[in-house]
Amino acid sequence: MSTDHTGRSESLPSVPSIDDPRPHPPLTEHFNTGTATDPDVGARETSSLTVDGEEVNVGEEATIIDALEEVGADEDLSALCYYDREDTDRIGPRSECRTCMVETDEHGLVPSCSHPAEDGMTVRTNSTEAEEARSVNLDLVLSDHNLRCTTCGKNGRCELQDAAIEADVEVPRYGVFDNRDEYEPIDESSPFIQIDRNKCILCNRCVEACNDVQVEGVLRIEGSGPDTRIGFQNGADEMMDSTCVSCGHCATVCPTGSLVEQDYTDAATIPLPGFTQENSIGKTIGEDYDGQPNPATPMKGNQTYEDDALGEADDD
Amino acid sequence: MVGTEAATTPAIRVAVGSAEYDRAAAVLEAAREAATDVRVVETGPTGAAALAPVVLATADDRTTVHANVSPDRARELVETLDDGELATDDAHAVVESDEGVSMAETGPLAIGQRRALARCGWAAPAALDESLAERTRDEPDDLREAVAGAGLLGRGRGDGHTDESIAEGWATARESDGETVVVVNGNESDPAVDGDRLLLESRPAEVLDGALAVAAAVEATDVVVYLNEDDELAAQRVREAVESVDADGTGIDVVAGPDRYIAGEMTMALEAMEGADRLEARLRPPGPSEVGLYGRPTVVHTPRTLAQIRAFAAAPDEFETSAADPGSRLLTVTGDGVAGPTTVELATDTALAEAVASSEYKMACVGGRFGGITRSLDVPASAPALTGARLGTEGGIELFDGATCALEFAGSRAKFAREKNCGRCVPCREGSKQLVDLLRDVYEGQFQPSELRELSRVVAESSTCEFGQAAPRPVTTAIDTFEREIAAHAEGRCPSGVCTETN
Ligand code: SF4
Ligand code: SF4
Ligand code: SF4
Ligand code: FES
Repeated sequence: MSTDHTGRSESLPSVPSIDDPRPHPPLTEHFNTGTATDPDVGARETSSLTVDGEEVNVGEEATIIDALEEVGADEDLSALCYYDREDTDRIGPRSECRTCMVETDEHGLVPSCSHPAEDGMTVRTNSTEAEEARSVNLDLVLSDHNLRCTTCGKNGRCELQDAAIEADVEVPRYGVFDNRDEYEPIDESSPFIQIDRNKCILCNRCVEACNDVQVEGVLRIEGSGPDTRIGFQNGADEMMDSTCVSCGHCATVCPTGSLVEQDYTDAATIPLPGFTQENSIGKTIGEDYDGQPNPATPMKGNQTYEDDALGEADDD
Repeated sequence: MVGTEAATTPAIRVAVGSAEYDRAAAVLEAAREAATDVRVVETGPTGAAALAPVVLATADDRTTVHANVSPDRARELVETLDDGELATDDAHAVVESDEGVSMAETGPLAIGQRRALARCGWAAPAALDESLAERTRDEPDDLREAVAGAGLLGRGRGDGHTDESIAEGWATARESDGETVVVVNGNESDPAVDGDRLLLESRPAEVLDGALAVAAAVEATDVVVYLNEDDELAAQRVREAVESVDADGTGIDVVAGPDRYIAGEMTMALEAMEGADRLEARLRPPGPSEVGLYGRPTVVHTPRTLAQIRAFAAAPDEFETSAADPGSRLLTVTGDGVAGPTTVELATDTALAEAVASSEYKMACVGGRFGGITRSLDVPASAPALTGARLGTEGGIELFDGATCALEFAGSRAKFAREKNCGRCVPCREGSKQLVDLLRDVYEGQFQPSELRELSRVVAESSTCEFGQAAPRPVTTAIDTFEREIAAHAEGRCPSGVCTETN
């Protein structure tokens, strides 16, 4: 997609006509996720590092945090935006929160989640600078967060809450985002998933889950600076007008109460044993909702079966 | 037009740059209409906006430099030259030269040295005297070894190797898999840092030749020139230069990105070129020299870096190669007491003060949008000296007089950071908001220098790209330099008398 330069007499193209040697997965090619194409940040070869005085060996693809985990040195790191569960190869590292900063002899302060492990590297997790950076950055995350845990659907299963508790945050330096006049309205248009952007830490996990794992191409990052936010690739203002199929993967990966399954929005619950996106969202919640007989939004119906009336599209 | 400047024919040169475009174009037209025998050459700007439109008249190894020329005056100058005369009386300068290397003994054109700038305002933009690319194609090792031996550093925030070894970047690109691309990053949206635009408008053939030489040295298959979509004159002249330059099979593409400050950051430049509909920085390492445009190894250089490489290759003996940062730096001087933006070239061992005509300023912001605030310009123009003095290496010196408040100025730059960052990383996106808030607190009676410094440290050291890494500098250096002035605001007093109304 090229930038539009209409109205200019001799406008230049924005994209050079040179070879792009990368193989393109055909489906995701035209997704506009709004995010940069990061290089592969994993190490190219196996390496041996010293972490807080201990010798550690890690394999190919490793970033520093893998070495920290080997010796349990990641305990002191919030590493808030780092996603270390299934699909790690398709989700992250986004490396936006910078609450995983460590000190290295070779490169000074670096984010451990996204810095390649290098042979011979000396890493310290507890230098004054690294601790200061992690602490300030965690407080900066909280400064833009509507910290109303008691009424939040992720209370008790929230990674930001956990991080703040583990880091002994009592009074965040910069306060929290508590100006009600500035709150973005909660998007409750979808019967399945609620979006409260006032709790979003812009970790991008939902965007990657939606585009790279589910290959649905619904969510994206939009805007810049203070207006950066989660939005929809089809330009919709609300979830219900997006092409969402309500698979629920975004809510599963969201570390905070920003994306929550509607049933949990106000429930101070802990995750149910056996909870999966399959059994919780697609079937159970959708069943008793008469406005929309299947979990796909009308826009998704439109997109997939253009000739059909709204709501009649099969969910396949 | 290429390389055919017989010194013998009398010539009139009209310097046409984007800043003075309409006025200078009218002068050019008048000169062309009046000319019968004299050759009239359209050149690029000289770098001294206050003198524009500039006309040079050359005859018999002598050149007169005329400033602020009107179309009528241009006609007269042509007619005088037609009679074999030079109008020396009212000339801004008279130079005993027909090479344009140094164009004046006084005034802005006499400041510093003119090596990279030697032919700005003198030669037709598409003209090229000597091709470094050709030489390098024959002996690619020569340029690589010479640049490595001299330890040349990248110039400008948009370079892939700002203040770092160019040669190391080339070596990395050569070692990386894939066909290498050379990107000329000419998208600098900050009008107070004008060196790249000047080179693109005045010496596009040299910029291209430099890029093609680098391409030969790193065995790149493509050169992409990336411009600012608003720099129409630069685009036009670069395209004309592409027509006349000998690329010897290397592909040359000219493209433009948005007129936004972040679009000049090296990885956001790559994102823009790959057609991203939203710009944000890429993680690094690995940087562009390993994984760049479309994943290919990419050597990113600013026009300033390329001009430096060419100037070095043309006269290696004039470079102090034992210096930590040999060569010269282009500096644009703007602000209070400066008649018009003036881009000059200083040898890196020369003090910044040389670039500035007046000494009547309260403070200067050195190093572009996120430069450092200082009272003294007695700092050499080399990267280590500037960094040591906590100033920026981006080639800009903005001067401010007594009617500027250091707190208000630092606040305005912090606000720029808050509004214009790409939004990707927490230290920059959220840190810049808090920086603005902490500065606003000063007006409410709370000046917390250690909190400001702590935050600034973390933003500078944990942000992803050069934007956030540089963003707190105006604030920290304002505190370093004007701590008492800032503290006075907490007591409801602005010593400069600027902030009283907003209080
Ligand atoms: S998202 Fe987490 S930290 Fe934020 S309010 Fe909800 S439970 Fe609390
Ligand atoms: S909505 Fe949740 S997963 Fe998505 S970016 Fe925000 S915090 Fe991350
Ligand atoms: S430092 Fe600022 S501009 Fe750079 S990636 Fe972070 S938010 Fe974006
Ligand atoms: S966990 Fe590394 S930057 Fe967020």
